Amino acid sequence: MIRRGRGGDAPEQPVGEALAQIARVCESAAAGDFEQRVPRIGEEADAERARDAVNSLLDVTDAFIRESGAALAAAAEGRFHRRFLTRGMRGAYRNAAEQISQSSGRMSEDAERVEQAAQARLQLADELESAVLTVSEQVATAATEMGSSANGLADFARNAVGSAEQGLTTVTQLRSSSDQIRRAVDLINAVAAQTRLLALNATIEAARAGEAGRGFSVVASEVKTLATETSASSEEILAQVNTVQHAAGDAVRVLEEVTASIREMSRLVDGIANAVDGGPGALEGQAGLAQLAEVLRGEVNRFVSTARQ
Amino acid sequence: MPSGVERTFDEDEIIVTKTDTKGVLTYANRVFLRVSALTEAEAIGKPHSLIRHPEMPRAVFKLLWDSLKAREELFAYVVNLASDGAHYWVLAHVTPSLNEHGQVVGYHSSRRKPERAAVAAAQEVYGRLRAEERRHDNAKSALDASWAMLQSLLDQNGQTYDQFVWELTNASAV
Ligand SMILES: Cc1cc2nc3c(=O)[nH]c(=O)nc-3n(C[C@H](O)[C@H](O)[C@H](O)COP(=O)(O)O)c2cc1C
Repeated sequence: MIRRGRGGDAPEQPVGEALAQIARVCESAAAGDFEQRVPRIGEEADAERARDAVNSLLDVTDAFIRESGAALAAAAEGRFHRRFLTRGMRGAYRNAAEQISQSSGRMSEDAERVEQAAQARLQLADELESAVLTVSEQVATAATEMGSSANGLADFARNAVGSAEQGLTTVTQLRSSSDQIRRAVDLINAVAAQTRLLALNATIEAARAGEAGRGFSVVASEVKTLATETSASSEEILAQVNTVQHAAGDAVRVLEEVTASIREMSRLVDGIANAVDGGPGALEGQAGLAQLAEVLRGEVNRFVSTARQ
Repeated sequence: MPSGVERTFDEDEIIVTKTDTKGVLTYANRVFLRVSALTEAEAIGKPHSLIRHPEMPRAVFKLLWDSLKAREELFAYVVNLASDGAHYWVLAHVTPSLNEHGQVVGYHSSRRKPERAAVAAAQEVYGRLRAEERRHDNAKSALDASWAMLQSLLDQNGQTYDQFVWELTNASAV
């Protein structure tokens, strides 16, 4: 009974006033203002109990509202350690508190998984970066080596072409020397034929001179023999010269083929050298192998730093 | 004044107080009055330091007021002194109360029964802070020293006070 207080410091108030106090506080709470509490409305046990009951309801609701909002805000900000403490909450309040706590627990697990995925991505980026670094270093080294091999080969090919050309000149000279020899031999042959004729005439004249011409006849016969031998030697020389000329012709053909092959090889080697270091012979906008490796590295770096963000 | 007697309250209960913007009590629930051995008339209108225990370090209250001034919540382990000399430990949640225009109209605290293990850990840290404060003869330098020590203790663990409190709380599963 509220109507009559039994003394003490609480003012006596009629039931209507007490109920109006409770109603005002409840109306404020219903409107979202949890700052009001029911003041003392009477001395009697029932009045105190009613007041405590309303205030307890407001206290637990007030606490629940303050905590739930902050707990969710904390989870949204990634402060997952800040849970909703279920202690002091009962019944439906407790269930809701547990649900919020579990949700932020799950958000924490999700965040952890996302973090793990991010870590895995970073690790992948690291691995990719170091793999590309290794490969591009190897490509760069290989390119340098190939470049210098190609340059060596090009030098070698140029020298070979030079030597072959020198050989051609030598063989051509040999050919014209053979022609001169042939002309000389022809001359010798003509002289030998003339000499043989002269020796024949001399023999006839010596026979006509009889005993007095005997000695001369011997000389004429010797001269004839000499002329015949000279002719024979000339034939031999001619045969040799023919062989040499034939061989020289073959040599020229072979040398020309070799030169052509080496020129072709030289062209291929230049192609390799250009592909490797993008030299002046390379097509417009065509990068060398080393530059390509560098470009690849740059692209991968860009990709990797994007992946790390 | 402290008698060394420890008082506890039920796990289902919360201790609630409200203050104005200066920390003067405007409301105290039944549990608060019982545990603090106070009547409503003795509590309302008094500063909240009414139940201040001498073993509470100043640095923790600085943290409390700094948080409230920044309009942030704070969880803290606090030991309070009842009027009869008994003491009781709480895990306090302190928040500003805003009106519909977002202005701070007062402060609110609800407190839960803490776990023993968490109390022991808090007590250890607070003991060191208090020992540091006692080495100073004026309040200002005592607070500065205890504040610096609290920061360095937390830094050693790479924690904020909030993380420290929640580590104790989550470990003892309140
Ligand atoms: C909402 C609220 C609740 C508080 N609760 C307590 C408390 O439970 N115990 C306490 O000693 N101080 C509490 N305080 C802090 C006091 O206002 C005060 O700062 C503290 O007791 C230190 O007092 P002192 O500066 O006189 O040493 C609370 C302050 C506010 C705003």
